[in-house]
Amino acid sequence: MSHRFGEFEIAVGFDVDQAILVVRGDVDVLTAPTFGAMLGVLVEQGHPNVVVDVGALGFMDAAGLGVIAEMSARLAETSRMLTMRAVSRQTKRILDITGLNELVRLEEPFNSNVPALGAEQRSDDDSLAVVSKPADLAADLARVGSQPNHNLIDAALRLVTVLAGATVEGADGVSVTLERHGRLSTVASTNGTVLLMDDHQYETGEGPCLAAAADGHWFHSESLADEARWPAFVPRALEEGIASILSTPLMAAERPLGALNIYSNTERAFGPRQQELAALFASQASGILSDAGADAVDEQLGRRILDGLLARETIARAEGMLMAREHLNAEKAAAIMRRSARTAGVAVVQHAAEIVASVASELSADR
Amino acid sequence: MSETVDVLEQARREVGLSLADLWMRYFTLGGMSTALEVEAILYGALIANAHDRDVIAVALNERFAELGGDHPVPYAGDDDDEPDD
Repeated sequence: MSHRFGEFEIAVGFDVDQAILVVRGDVDVLTAPTFGAMLGVLVEQGHPNVVVDVGALGFMDAAGLGVIAEMSARLAETSRMLTMRAVSRQTKRILDITGLNELVRLEEPFNSNVPALGAEQRSDDDSLAVVSKPADLAADLARVGSQPNHNLIDAALRLVTVLAGATVEGADGVSVTLERHGRLSTVASTNGTVLLMDDHQYETGEGPCLAAAADGHWFHSESLADEARWPAFVPRALEEGIASILSTPLMAAERPLGALNIYSNTERAFGPRQQELAALFASQASGILSDAGADAVDEQLGRRILDGLLARETIARAEGMLMAREHLNAEKAAAIMRRSARTAGVAVVQHAAEIVASVASELSADR
Repeated sequence: MSETVDVLEQARREVGLSLADLWMRYFTLGGMSTALEVEAILYGALIANAHDRDVIAVALNERFAELGGDHPVPYAGDDDDEPDD
């Protein structure tokens, strides 16, 4: 899955009153959804300061700028402002031209306590330097505190859809349907087509997503062209080029709450492995919702989910690199990582991060 | 191998990890089974394959290491696939 992201990498750090997203590589049409979903979680977690560190950014295309604009607007609703750290001259020019410079706070290294260092020389410590706080911080906090948790839940669900879309091979779109206020609606989707697919199901009152949400077990249509169920919905889906659908129910307290829907333009796109992954992401989403129902969705949980997903991604990437380099299968690669982490006396995730970093630096040295 | 299952559940209790915490660690390490399945494995209702079992073992052993111990939970994959390096 990591090859789709090329050299794009993203990391999250937290400090007393701020959350920092560090972006490495290019934010483009492929990587912007991940960038947006992760930033979205941080925005909805209600941190007084949300910082994007772009010191290691390659370039940011229109899709990335769109994310910046959207998140700035969402932060403005609670009188917060997005901070961009270590902005290069080139990125600064793009922000100026697009007018985004007025929506974000640019943190200039030479204005802070930190001596004027180049972005490359910054140490890990000063990347956690405290930025100036907005004057009405207390008011912000009060407002954030009284917000319902729905936004954070939605942001976490968006992240799950984005990761499912990037991980499940053959997926051309992913959405989460949820029962809220007694009716089903789409709370997260990776693109307009899947949103339309969900809407068609609500309108016709039938389809795999509705069936999964109602019955609490999964519905799989391998080939919509041969599908006899849902005669009103299927023609509409075929018209949009959808060829197969996998809907997995979301459960809380053994009761279906909604569904995770994966759409593909290819027939028979979802084999046993994809179904397994879908179940896994559905259980992630169910976990988010169950905890929300128990009124326990707090910053801590969002953080743990985010950290878990990020760590998993890092480990998968390192295993992928070992597999490619040493011609190993996944199990052997995992066993080797486990052993060398143990020998080094570090956790597997740390060891994986070191592998990824060393391969990345070899790659950049080859250029 | 019901004794290995006992080892896992016993280790979980020893390090004081809740099932949810163990699953989160297992998931982070790339585990592919749901929380319910992991619970079933711990209680012997489901037999895990060697790889899955080892991922659970790593999750537990890393907790032991955090608490200052070594890796007391044995790995199934270590018997026969030592790398030739």
